[in-house]
Amino acid sequence: MSPPPLRVRGLCVGPREHRVLDGIDLTVEAGHFLGIVGPNGAGKSTLLHAIVGLVEPDAGRVELFGEPLTRFNRRRLLRRAGFLNQKQETPSTLPLSARDVVMMGLPEWNAPLWRRVRAGETVTRALEMTETANLAGRDFRTLSGGQKQRVRLARALASDPELLLLDEPSAALDTHARDMLYALLRRLCDERGVAVVMVEHDIAAISGHVDSVACLNVRIHHHAMHGERIPESIWRAMYGEHMHVVAHDSHCIGCHNGDET
Amino acid sequence: MIAFLDSEVMRAALPPALTIATVASSMSVMILAHRLAFLAVGVSHATLAGLGVAVLLSLPLLPTAAVTAVIVALLLAALPEHRGLDHDAGTGVLFAGAMALGIVLLSSASQYEVDMFGLLFGNILMVSSEDTAWLAGAGLVVLAALALAARPWWSMALDAVTAAASGLPVSLYRLLLFAVTGLTVVICVRLAGIVLTTGLLVLPAATAWFWGRGLFRLWLLSLLTAITGTLIGLYLSYRMDWPSGATVVLALCALFALSWGSSRLVGGRARAF
Repeated sequence: MSPPPLRVRGLCVGPREHRVLDGIDLTVEAGHFLGIVGPNGAGKSTLLHAIVGLVEPDAGRVELFGEPLTRFNRRRLLRRAGFLNQKQETPSTLPLSARDVVMMGLPEWNAPLWRRVRAGETVTRALEMTETANLAGRDFRTLSGGQKQRVRLARALASDPELLLLDEPSAALDTHARDMLYALLRRLCDERGVAVVMVEHDIAAISGHVDSVACLNVRIHHHAMHGERIPESIWRAMYGEHMHVVAHDSHCIGCHNGDET
Repeated sequence: MIAFLDSEVMRAALPPALTIATVASSMSVMILAHRLAFLAVGVSHATLAGLGVAVLLSLPLLPTAAVTAVIVALLLAALPEHRGLDHDAGTGVLFAGAMALGIVLLSSASQYEVDMFGLLFGNILMVSSEDTAWLAGAGLVVLAALALAARPWWSMALDAVTAAASGLPVSLYRLLLFAVTGLTVVICVRLAGIVLTTGLLVLPAATAWFWGRGLFRLWLLSLLTAITGTLIGLYLSYRMDWPSGATVVLALCALFALSWGSSRLVGGRARAF
């Protein structure tokens, strides 16, 4: 049996007296769709950054595809992963087509100029999957926020990743595009066995699609599987005493119709 | 025009001037993409300290200036961005400090040893064969670095975090970018001088920015702009007896204005091909 694409063991980031992440344990098997929710400043983005080696852990370790992540094997292991960074605040001014942006996701893209890089089948498929094939020739700077976000997602998919790490991918997307995105991620998990870790704010929006939800605020307070109820005490521990749990639909992980207050 | 080509001085100036145009316009794309124009200003002025050291110790001018420029650029790359001090402020500090040091060092040299006007505003017409060989060698180093690192640099300019998350050693590439920018600055100083070098490093890509899309087309347009501007500038400099570096920069400014104006006429930079 092949090792899980992602395993995090006792991960701590930040000084002992002021941890940003504290004792994180996570295992994400192939084909599993994990949603991570939590308030602002909970360490959600830091966790994703630590997984790809952008943040050095102060304790614990990250294993990708069964190998502990080090600075020496980082590049090789990350070739098998796709990463979507949080939406950029300052828009890029580079004159690029959307296809150019997607091609940057190819592992061979960073090769020297004398090696020709072609937009192969995976680029075309990534553009089609994200419904951006019609935008491929357009200037990236002129696209709307939602279109840019879909192109950036296509870039993360261009390398045909086995592990996909997404930091608030639905930012700037309208309802249709957001539903399309979650359905696409669900398909990638079910049909291609991709392991997906997605950070989002809105648990209600993702809970119908993910296999499990991890509630993160510095540490993981609860890890609920699909259909499992998240106790109200967990929500209060994460968001504070003044929060109100409002149930909305029967698919929501953690919410039951009797929970509304 | 024939008289221009018949002129021995101009014939000698053309190869180094075109070498500088090629190197400057190639790096120009990366300087604009990474918003390093002010760094180029800072490093070019800081080369005065290197030139001062070279004059004081009787070292070869351009190689000593090149070492100084690369060290200054690497210092700026390594400058930690914390406690509110960013690269902008760091460049300002080094720029002023190194320029002041250069002026002090050069003030002790006799006026016959130093062509101050040439240092400040460039003089490609008095280039020696050693200088031409040095420019060609240093130019090759810059072009080789570009061939090796242009794609990672381009990717970092779009989104450095995503580039780093793909396993790219972004810090290493950044150091290389700053060092190569420093070297390119010194190459340009021979033509445009300390004061006008930024023009050679910004104007070609800025002119191309309105029209090119994608790394290759942008580079090609930037190169064509720099070569055209250099040829027009040198010709005008010969005809009007104007200083060569300043005339080339003026010609590049005119091409930029033309490009900007025509891009406005056909729909601005957002137009799609």
